[in-house]
Amino acid sequence: MALRSCLIPFLQQLGDDVSYWGFFVEYAPKMASGAMTTAMVMGCSALLAAVISLIFGLMRLSQNWGVQAAATVYIEFFRGTSLLVQLYWIYYVLPLMGLTLSPFMSGVLALGLNFGAYGAEIVRGGVQSVPRGQWEAALALNMSPAQRMRRIIVPQTFTLILPPMANLTVELLKATALVALITVVDLMFVAKQINATTWLSAQVFGTALIIYYIMARFALIPFLRWLEVLAARKVGKA
Amino acid sequence: MSSAFFAQADELSDRINAGEPIRLGFATAIPWAYPGDNGEPLGFVNALTLVVLEEMGITNYETSVNEWAGLIPGLQAKRYDIITGGMYILKSRCENINFSDPIGLFGDAMLVPAGNPKGIHNYQDVIKTSATLVTGAGFNTVEAAKKEGVPESQMMLVAGEVEILAAMNAGRADAAVQTFFGAKEHVDKSNGKFEVTDPADMPDWTKNWVGIGMRKSDPEFLAAFNEAMAKVIGGQKWMAATAPYGYTEFQLPGEDASTAFACANR
Amino acid sequence: MEWRWDFTFEILPRMLWATGNTLLAAGIGYLIALVVGLILMLGQRTPYRIVNFIVREVVEFIRSTPLLVQLFFVFFVAPQFGIKLTAWTSAMLTIGLHFGTYLSEVYRGALEGVPKAQWEACRALNFSTAYTYRRVVLPQAFPIALPGMGNYLVGIFKDTPLLATIGVAELMHTANALGAETYRYLEPYTMVGFIFLIISLPAAMGLRRLEAAVAKAQGKVKH
Repeated sequence: MALRSCLIPFLQQLGDDVSYWGFFVEYAPKMASGAMTTAMVMGCSALLAAVISLIFGLMRLSQNWGVQAAATVYIEFFRGTSLLVQLYWIYYVLPLMGLTLSPFMSGVLALGLNFGAYGAEIVRGGVQSVPRGQWEAALALNMSPAQRMRRIIVPQTFTLILPPMANLTVELLKATALVALITVVDLMFVAKQINATTWLSAQVFGTALIIYYIMARFALIPFLRWLEVLAARKVGKA
Repeated sequence: MSSAFFAQADELSDRINAGEPIRLGFATAIPWAYPGDNGEPLGFVNALTLVVLEEMGITNYETSVNEWAGLIPGLQAKRYDIITGGMYILKSRCENINFSDPIGLFGDAMLVPAGNPKGIHNYQDVIKTSATLVTGAGFNTVEAAKKEGVPESQMMLVAGEVEILAAMNAGRADAAVQTFFGAKEHVDKSNGKFEVTDPADMPDWTKNWVGIGMRKSDPEFLAAFNEAMAKVIGGQKWMAATAPYGYTEFQLPGEDASTAFACANR
Repeated sequence: MEWRWDFTFEILPRMLWATGNTLLAAGIGYLIALVVGLILMLGQRTPYRIVNFIVREVVEFIRSTPLLVQLFFVFFVAPQFGIKLTAWTSAMLTIGLHFGTYLSEVYRGALEGVPKAQWEACRALNFSTAYTYRRVVLPQAFPIALPGMGNYLVGIFKDTPLLATIGVAELMHTANALGAETYRYLEPYTMVGFIFLIISLPAAMGLRRLEAAVAKAQGKVKH
């Protein structure tokens, strides 16, 4: 009985309203343009996060107490407060202090800062797991600390950190949906907007979910795997 | 373009003189103001604003679609230049932004399930029936409900018009309070599942004038806007632009309506 | 814009009340996720290949799509099919399902961390499957799973602000409402960040200790 009362509206939904195909033809272009913005937000914030990860991850390993403490504060702060809180803060509070960033920039900045903090911990872990012998050998060869990092440690770290970084990147793609809440016209925003005028919620949000899935599973993940293979080959050759 | 218009120039006038587009900020509130498929400004507040801007010689505009509660902070952060969301001129808002002269007089109403099973027509009925009342964060109705004595535990706050209808559809609330226009739109959309109560049943003091929101730092633009609006309000262009959204001469603000009065008394 | 302490103290009670709701949401969501994770893990270890495959794909799908979109999906779509859920129920179900997929991975990893020889020994001793799980495998798998499980508790906590978007009256929702009522955003949003920090910092520290303790204990077992 309960199942019947659930199913009937469901079938009516599929029957009366625009068929899914009709919906798709009408709204696919809009959703595709939203997905492009999502990809752009993702690309820009991934770059920012990568740079931050590297800088703060290495700072965490510094011999200098001050540098290390600064990195620790940064990492703990951005991991400890929630991403949405950071996003709203940058979007709503920063302008009160005289700095108004565009919604897109606010989104990229919040995502980059937040994921950079998580990435920094991965970089630190990666560097620390390079065998001691490598550090000692570099020292014996009289390399400067900078040389040692660049030529010995970082290349080996790369292969170690890529798999966890890949996971983090998928998380980043998912997190980009939050920028819709600060008016960036991404896939989520477009979906909300279509839902507001058509009320075809199942079709709209269902399609959005599938697009996110395709972006992650068939674009982002294969790309990251390819990077891993590439890195492994490079290091192997060296 | 219209450099002659602004003798003394504030920031917004400067922007417009420099040929930059004026940016309209609004939320999704059908039929007041909402975006079309490509972000174009629809709804009667947008429509009549465009009529006034045209009168001022401004035809170059952009839009920004926000959550309702983000409209005033967005204006203050200069993310856009004027608020065309259809905001009531209220004291608490006047403390933060300027309003143009009134564009009309409007009332609120309750959206209830068809047949109005709980008999809810106003805030007092909500209190009596211990019903759950849904409305939007930052809506005037939040303040009004509080003044009328609706306890916070009976209030449910959501992001905007869309979420209000979703809450009613899901039976999460017994009644929704919003503008009469907004409620009527929801009735049309719900195929007779809901009805809207008579706006005359609502407390008289909750009737409000609506204005276009502007930054306090743009007084010259405000003056120029008001001057242009005085010429077109109620005219043929104005009525033709707003008619498709249900705005009629009954909504016109009336001769003695003033923003200063609304700011002091609402 | 200046920080106003009088305003801060005025809104503090409401913020603290909302903090309670945030913790409640995280706690309930976590409990559901723990159970859902178990079901999803077992669903991938059935004797039926096709079942395993389908559950695996469902887990992949939920894991690679945004929680925010899922929240909206459940919130808006369920009522269209006649399923009436409150904002809280939709939120708890979605969080439970989303993080359940992560926890199923944690459980799976932990089970795989138990040496194969243990299983073989149990089979040789003719133990039943249930008995093997209860007395041999789970006691060894649990410590391996513990840090991951703790991680996702903190993870759920940090994702609770998303629930504000569908009207759950947690911290972020309260900060939004306060901002909309008073037009002051500096204090509410900053306070939310601060409250998150003072809860998640000790939690993260506790987690690190737990991880170290587990690593040490396992080291002992191996020797």
